[in-house]
Amino acid sequence: MTGFKDLKSQWGNQNKVEIPEDGAKKILEKIALVRKKQQISNVVLGLTAVVLIAFFFYVSAYKFQTVMIGLLMMIGALVLRIGIEILSLRRLKNMNVTTTLEKFKQQMIGYYEKRKKVHFIATPIIILIYCFGFVLLLPAFKESLSVGFYNYIVVSSIVLFVVLSLFIAREVKRELLGLRELQR
Amino acid sequence: MSELQSRFEAIYQNNYQKIIRVCMGYVNGDEALAKDLTQEVFIKVWKNLASFREEASISTWIYRITVNTCLLQLRKKKYVKGEEAIDKLLVSEENTHFSKEYQLKKMYQCINKLPKESRGIVLLALEGLPQKDIAEIIGVSHEAIRVRIHRIKNSLTKCVQNDRI
Repeated sequence: MTGFKDLKSQWGNQNKVEIPEDGAKKILEKIALVRKKQQISNVVLGLTAVVLIAFFFYVSAYKFQTVMIGLLMMIGALVLRIGIEILSLRRLKNMNVTTTLEKFKQQMIGYYEKRKKVHFIATPIIILIYCFGFVLLLPAFKESLSVGFYNYIVVSSIVLFVVLSLFIAREVKRELLGLRELQR
Repeated sequence: MSELQSRFEAIYQNNYQKIIRVCMGYVNGDEALAKDLTQEVFIKVWKNLASFREEASISTWIYRITVNTCLLQLRKKKYVKGEEAIDKLLVSEENTHFSKEYQLKKMYQCINKLPKESRGIVLLALEGLPQKDIAEIIGVSHEAIRVRIHRIKNSLTKCVQNDRI
Protein backbone atom coordinates (compact mmCIF):
# COMPACT_ATOMS: atom_id res chain seq x y z
CA MET A 1 0.00 0.00 0.00
CA THR A 2 1.21 3.49 -0.82
CA GLY A 3 0.29 6.16 1.70
CA PHE A 4 0.75 9.89 1.28
CA LYS A 5 3.96 9.71 3.33
CA ASP A 6 5.41 7.29 0.76
CA LEU A 7 4.35 9.56 -2.06
CA LYS A 8 5.99 12.49 -0.30
CA SER A 9 9.19 10.54 0.14
CA GLN A 10 9.15 9.47 -3.56
CA TRP A 11 8.57 13.09 -4.47
CA GLY A 12 11.50 14.26 -2.38
CA ASN A 13 13.79 11.56 -3.75
CA GLN A 14 13.29 12.29 -7.43
CA ASN A 15 16.34 13.22 -9.47
CA LYS A 16 17.40 16.81 -9.13
CA VAL A 17 17.34 19.05 -12.19
CA GLU A 18 20.61 20.92 -12.58
CA ILE A 19 20.49 24.67 -12.02
CA PRO A 20 21.34 26.28 -15.38
CA GLU A 21 24.68 28.00 -15.45
CA ASP A 22 24.25 31.79 -15.58
CA GLY A 23 20.48 31.15 -15.38
CA ALA A 24 19.68 34.37 -13.50
CA LYS A 25 21.83 36.40 -15.90
CA LYS A 26 20.13 34.81 -18.92
CA ILE A 27 16.70 35.68 -17.50
CA LEU A 28 17.71 39.33 -17.13
CA GLU A 29 19.03 39.27 -20.71
CA LYS A 30 15.77 37.73 -21.93
CA ILE A 31 13.74 40.45 -20.19
CA ALA A 32 15.88 43.14 -21.86
CA LEU A 33 15.47 41.42 -25.25
CA VAL A 34 11.67 41.18 -24.88
CA ARG A 35 11.54 44.88 -24.01
CA LYS A 36 13.59 45.72 -27.10
CA LYS A 37 11.33 43.56 -29.29
CA GLN A 38 8.26 45.34 -27.89
CA GLN A 39 9.77 48.69 -28.80
CA ILE A 40 10.50 47.44 -32.34
CA SER A 41 6.91 46.12 -32.67
CA ASN A 42 5.57 49.51 -31.58
CA VAL A 43 7.67 51.24 -34.22
CA VAL A 44 6.55 48.74 -36.91
CA LEU A 45 2.88 49.18 -35.94
CA GLY A 46 3.23 52.96 -36.00
CA LEU A 47 4.95 52.88 -39.40
CA THR A 48 2.24 50.57 -40.80
CA ALA A 49 -0.41 53.05 -39.70
CA VAL A 50 1.51 55.91 -41.33
CA VAL A 51 1.93 53.94 -44.60
CA LEU A 52 -1.79 53.05 -44.64
CA ILE A 53 -2.81 56.67 -44.13
CA ALA A 54 -0.29 57.83 -46.76
CA PHE A 55 -1.63 55.22 -49.22
CA PHE A 56 -5.17 56.38 -48.48
CA PHE A 57 -4.24 59.91 -49.63
CA TYR A 58 -1.92 58.71 -52.43
CA VAL A 59 -4.73 56.87 -54.21
CA SER A 60 -7.06 59.79 -53.38
CA ALA A 61 -9.46 57.34 -51.78
CA TYR A 62 -11.30 60.25 -50.15
CA LYS A 63 -12.57 61.32 -53.59
CA PHE A 64 -14.63 58.15 -53.95
CA GLN A 65 -17.08 58.09 -51.12
CA THR A 66 -18.09 54.42 -51.29
CA VAL A 67 -14.49 53.29 -51.58
CA MET A 68 -13.53 55.53 -48.69
CA ILE A 69 -16.32 54.23 -46.45
CA GLY A 70 -15.52 50.63 -47.40
CA LEU A 71 -11.81 51.08 -46.69
CA LEU A 72 -12.45 52.92 -43.44
CA MET A 73 -14.81 50.19 -42.28
CA MET A 74 -12.29 47.46 -43.03
CA ILE A 75 -9.32 49.29 -41.53
CA GLY A 76 -11.40 50.46 -38.57
CA ALA A 77 -12.57 46.90 -37.85
CA LEU A 78 -8.99 45.62 -37.99
CA VAL A 79 -7.65 48.42 -35.78
CA LEU A 80 -10.45 47.83 -33.28
CA ARG A 81 -9.74 44.10 -33.16
CA ILE A 82 -5.97 44.64 -32.74
CA GLY A 83 -6.65 47.27 -30.06
CA ILE A 84 -8.85 44.84 -28.10
CA GLU A 85 -6.18 42.13 -28.31
CA ILE A 86 -3.43 44.52 -27.15
CA LEU A 87 -5.56 45.63 -24.20
CA SER A 88 -6.34 42.02 -23.30
CA LEU A 89 -2.65 41.08 -23.41
CA ARG A 90 -1.77 44.10 -21.29
CA ARG A 91 -4.42 43.08 -18.77
CA LEU A 92 -2.97 39.58 -18.58
CA LYS A 93 0.56 40.94 -18.17
CA ASN A 94 -0.47 43.33 -15.42
CA MET A 95 -2.21 40.70 -13.30
CA ASN A 96 -0.82 40.68 -9.78
CA VAL A 97 0.96 37.33 -9.48
CA THR A 98 2.19 38.03 -5.96
CA THR A 99 -1.29 37.81 -4.47
CA THR A 100 -2.94 34.66 -3.08
CA LEU A 101 -4.06 31.91 -5.47
CA GLU A 102 -7.73 32.57 -4.60
CA LYS A 103 -7.47 36.25 -5.51
CA PHE A 104 -5.44 35.47 -8.60
CA LYS A 105 -8.08 32.98 -9.70
CA GLN A 106 -10.71 35.71 -9.38
CA GLN A 107 -8.55 38.00 -11.55
CA MET A 108 -8.34 35.26 -14.18
CA ILE A 109 -12.08 34.57 -14.05
CA GLY A 110 -12.65 38.32 -14.52
CA TYR A 111 -10.30 38.26 -17.50
CA TYR A 112 -12.08 35.31 -19.12
CA GLU A 113 -15.52 36.85 -18.48
CA LYS A 114 -14.36 39.98 -20.33
CA ARG A 115 -13.00 37.82 -23.16
CA LYS A 116 -16.37 36.12 -23.38
CA LYS A 117 -17.98 39.52 -23.98
CA VAL A 118 -15.34 40.25 -26.63
CA HIS A 119 -16.02 36.94 -28.37
CA PHE A 120 -19.80 37.02 -28.28
CA ILE A 121 -20.51 40.75 -28.67
CA ALA A 122 -17.52 42.67 -30.06
CA THR A 123 -16.13 40.06 -32.48
CA PRO A 124 -19.39 39.41 -34.42
CA ILE A 125 -19.94 43.19 -34.76
CA ILE A 126 -16.34 43.70 -35.94
CA ILE A 127 -16.65 40.84 -38.46
CA LEU A 128 -19.92 42.31 -39.81
CA ILE A 129 -18.35 45.76 -40.19
CA TYR A 130 -15.34 44.24 -41.95
CA CYS A 131 -17.47 42.18 -44.35
CA PHE A 132 -19.76 45.11 -45.06
CA GLY A 133 -16.74 47.28 -45.87
CA PHE A 134 -15.42 44.59 -48.21
CA VAL A 135 -18.76 44.27 -50.01
CA LEU A 136 -18.82 48.06 -50.47
CA LEU A 137 -15.43 47.85 -52.21
CA LEU A 138 -16.48 45.08 -54.62
CA PRO A 139 -18.03 47.33 -57.34
CA ALA A 140 -14.84 49.42 -57.39
CA PHE A 141 -12.74 46.26 -57.70
CA LYS A 142 -14.96 44.95 -60.51
CA GLU A 143 -14.64 48.21 -62.37
CA SER A 144 -10.89 48.53 -62.18
CA LEU A 145 -9.60 44.92 -62.13
CA SER A 146 -9.61 42.11 -64.70
CA VAL A 147 -12.34 39.46 -64.34
CA GLY A 148 -9.78 36.81 -63.31
CA PHE A 149 -8.19 38.95 -60.63
CA TYR A 150 -11.59 40.08 -59.37
CA ASN A 151 -12.72 36.46 -59.02
CA TYR A 152 -9.45 35.62 -57.31
CA ILE A 153 -10.01 38.38 -54.74
CA VAL A 154 -13.58 37.26 -54.05
CA VAL A 155 -12.74 33.56 -53.73
CA SER A 156 -9.55 34.07 -51.69
CA SER A 157 -11.41 36.43 -49.34
CA ILE A 158 -14.11 33.83 -48.73
CA VAL A 159 -11.49 31.15 -48.06
CA LEU A 160 -9.57 33.48 -45.76
CA PHE A 161 -12.79 34.37 -43.95
CA VAL A 162 -13.66 30.70 -43.37
CA VAL A 163 -10.13 29.87 -42.16
CA LEU A 164 -10.08 32.88 -39.83
CA SER A 165 -13.53 32.04 -38.48
CA LEU A 166 -12.45 28.48 -37.71
CA PHE A 167 -9.30 29.77 -36.01
CA ILE A 168 -11.29 32.27 -33.90
CA ALA A 169 -13.87 29.58 -33.02
CA ARG A 170 -11.07 27.28 -31.80
CA GLU A 171 -9.55 30.02 -29.67
CA VAL A 172 -12.95 30.90 -28.21
CA LYS A 173 -13.55 27.23 -27.35
CA ARG A 174 -10.15 27.03 -25.63
CA GLU A 175 -10.79 30.16 -23.56
CA LEU A 176 -14.26 29.00 -22.56
CA LEU A 177 -12.77 25.70 -21.42
CA GLY A 178 -10.23 27.66 -19.37
CA LEU A 179 -13.02 29.62 -17.72
CA ARG A 180 -15.05 26.49 -16.99
CA GLU A 181 -12.04 24.83 -15.40
CA LEU A 182 -11.38 27.83 -13.16
CA GLN A 183 -15.00 27.89 -12.04
CA ARG A 184 -15.26 24.21 -11.15
CA MET B 1 25.93 44.10 -10.62
CA SER B 2 23.31 46.13 -8.70
CA GLU B 3 22.11 45.16 -5.24
CA LEU B 4 18.77 44.03 -6.69
CA GLN B 5 20.51 41.85 -9.27
CA SER B 6 22.66 40.20 -6.58
CA ARG B 7 19.54 39.55 -4.55
CA PHE B 8 17.81 38.04 -7.59
CA GLU B 9 20.84 35.84 -8.28
CA ALA B 10 20.71 34.54 -4.69
CA ILE B 11 16.96 33.90 -4.89
CA TYR B 12 17.47 32.04 -8.17
CA GLN B 13 20.19 29.79 -6.78
CA ASN B 14 18.32 29.07 -3.53
CA ASN B 15 14.92 28.39 -5.04
CA TYR B 16 15.44 26.94 -8.52
CA GLN B 17 15.24 23.27 -7.45
CA LYS B 18 12.00 23.58 -5.53
CA ILE B 19 10.33 25.78 -8.13
CA ILE B 20 11.12 23.43 -11.01
CA ARG B 21 9.82 20.47 -8.96
CA VAL B 22 6.49 22.24 -8.45
CA CYS B 23 6.39 23.20 -12.15
CA MET B 24 7.09 19.58 -13.16
CA GLY B 25 3.95 18.64 -11.24
CA TYR B 26 1.90 20.93 -13.46
CA VAL B 27 3.23 19.50 -16.75
CA ASN B 28 3.34 15.76 -16.10
CA GLY B 29 7.02 15.73 -15.31
CA ASP B 30 8.04 17.09 -18.71
CA GLU B 31 11.41 18.65 -17.88
CA ALA B 32 11.64 20.92 -20.93
CA LEU B 33 8.19 22.42 -20.30
CA ALA B 34 8.91 22.71 -16.58
CA LYS B 35 12.10 24.63 -17.39
CA ASP B 36 10.08 27.06 -19.50
CA LEU B 37 7.55 27.47 -16.70
CA THR B 38 10.33 28.01 -14.16
CA GLN B 39 11.83 30.68 -16.36
CA GLU B 40 8.44 32.44 -16.49
CA VAL B 41 8.27 32.25 -12.69
CA PHE B 42 11.68 33.88 -12.29
CA ILE B 43 10.81 36.58 -14.83
CA LYS B 44 7.83 37.45 -12.61
CA VAL B 45 10.03 37.28 -9.52
CA TRP B 46 12.44 39.78 -11.06
CA LYS B 47 9.65 42.11 -12.21
CA ASN B 48 8.12 42.19 -8.72
CA LEU B 49 11.25 41.98 -6.61
CA ALA B 50 11.66 45.73 -6.19
CA SER B 51 8.14 45.97 -4.73
CA PHE B 52 8.52 43.00 -2.35
CA ARG B 53 7.69 44.43 1.08
CA GLU B 54 8.56 41.43 3.26
CA GLU B 55 5.00 41.28 4.61
CA ALA B 56 5.24 37.58 3.82
CA SER B 57 8.37 35.42 3.95
CA ILE B 58 10.34 35.32 0.68
CA SER B 59 9.58 31.62 0.35
CA THR B 60 5.80 32.14 0.63
CA TRP B 61 6.05 35.04 -1.81
CA ILE B 62 7.93 32.93 -4.39
CA TYR B 63 5.54 30.00 -4.04
CA ARG B 64 2.62 32.38 -4.61
CA ILE B 65 4.24 33.61 -7.79
CA THR B 66 4.90 29.99 -8.81
CA VAL B 67 1.35 28.66 -8.42
CA ASN B 68 -0.14 31.80 -9.97
CA THR B 69 2.28 31.82 -12.91
CA CYS B 70 1.66 28.13 -13.55
CA LEU B 71 -2.10 28.73 -13.51
CA LEU B 72 -1.63 31.62 -15.93
CA GLN B 73 0.76 29.86 -18.30
CA LEU B 74 -1.10 26.55 -18.46
CA ARG B 75 -3.72 28.13 -20.71
CA LYS B 76 -1.08 28.15 -23.49
CA LYS B 77 -1.21 25.41 -26.11
CA LYS B 78 2.27 24.00 -25.55
CA TYR B 79 1.51 23.29 -21.89
CA VAL B 80 -1.84 21.68 -22.71
CA LYS B 81 0.09 19.23 -24.92
CA GLY B 82 2.40 18.55 -21.97
CA GLU B 83 -0.60 17.73 -19.82
CA GLU B 84 -1.70 15.09 -22.32
CA ALA B 85 1.70 13.46 -22.83
CA ILE B 86 1.87 11.05 -19.89
CA ASP B 87 -0.71 8.49 -21.05
CA LYS B 88 1.61 7.32 -23.80
CA LEU B 89 4.52 7.06 -21.38
CA LEU B 90 2.57 4.82 -19.03
CA VAL B 91 1.50 2.36 -21.71
CA SER B 92 5.12 1.73 -22.72
CA GLU B 93 6.19 1.09 -19.17
CA GLU B 94 3.62 -1.45 -18.08
CA ASN B 95 6.28 -4.06 -17.39
CA THR B 96 8.15 -2.01 -14.84
CA HIS B 97 5.31 -1.25 -12.45
CA PHE B 98 7.50 -1.07 -9.38
CA SER B 99 10.34 1.03 -10.76
CA LYS B 100 10.92 4.37 -9.08
CA GLU B 101 10.45 6.15 -12.37
CA TYR B 102 7.15 4.43 -13.09
CA GLN B 103 5.79 5.29 -9.65
CA LEU B 104 6.80 8.90 -10.10
CA LYS B 105 5.17 9.09 -13.51
CA LYS B 106 2.03 7.58 -12.11
CA MET B 107 2.07 10.22 -9.39
CA TYR B 108 2.43 12.93 -12.03
CA GLN B 109 -0.49 11.44 -13.92
CA CYS B 110 -2.66 11.43 -10.81
CA ILE B 111 -1.68 15.00 -9.92
CA ASN B 112 -2.66 15.95 -13.44
CA LYS B 113 -6.16 14.57 -12.97
CA LEU B 114 -6.78 17.05 -10.17
CA PRO B 115 -8.26 20.53 -10.81
CA LYS B 116 -5.43 23.07 -11.28
CA GLU B 117 -6.02 24.73 -7.91
CA SER B 118 -5.86 21.40 -6.09
CA ARG B 119 -2.70 20.58 -8.01
CA GLY B 120 -1.05 23.65 -6.50
CA ILE B 121 -2.14 22.64 -3.00
CA VAL B 122 -0.96 19.05 -3.25
CA LEU B 123 2.35 20.05 -4.83
CA LEU B 124 3.03 22.40 -1.93
CA ALA B 125 2.10 19.62 0.49
CA LEU B 126 4.46 17.21 -1.32
CA GLU B 127 7.19 19.85 -1.01
CA GLY B 128 6.66 19.60 2.75
CA LEU B 129 5.33 23.11 3.40
CA PRO B 130 3.45 23.56 6.69
CA GLN B 131 -0.33 23.90 6.33
CA LYS B 132 -0.17 27.43 7.72
CA ASP B 133 2.14 28.49 4.87
CA ILE B 134 -0.02 26.73 2.27
CA ALA B 135 -3.06 28.57 3.64
CA GLU B 136 -1.17 31.85 3.25
CA ILE B 137 -0.19 31.04 -0.33
CA ILE B 138 -3.67 29.93 -1.35
CA GLY B 139 -5.50 32.65 0.59
CA VAL B 140 -7.91 30.61 2.70
CA SER B 141 -8.14 29.93 6.45
CA HIS B 142 -5.92 27.36 8.13
CA GLU B 143 -8.97 25.26 8.94
CA ALA B 144 -10.24 25.33 5.37
CA ILE B 145 -6.86 24.33 3.96
CA ARG B 146 -6.57 21.49 6.49
CA VAL B 147 -9.82 19.97 5.22
CA ARG B 148 -8.88 20.51 1.58
CA ILE B 149 -5.40 19.04 1.96
CA HIS B 150 -6.87 16.00 3.69
CA ARG B 151 -9.34 15.46 0.84
CA ILE B 152 -6.76 16.00 -1.91
CA LYS B 153 -4.19 13.76 -0.21
CA ASN B 154 -6.80 10.98 -0.07
CA SER B 155 -7.73 11.43 -3.73
CA LEU B 156 -4.09 11.36 -4.80
CA THR B 157 -3.21 8.34 -2.70
CA LYS B 158 -6.27 6.43 -3.96
CA CYS B 159 -5.42 7.31 -7.53
CA VAL B 160 -1.84 6.10 -7.23
CA GLN B 161 -3.04 2.88 -5.57
CA ASN B 162 -6.01 2.09 -7.81
CA ASP B 163 -5.61 4.30 -10.86
CA ARG B 164 -8.85 6.07 -9.85
CA ILE B 165 -9.48 9.59 -8.56
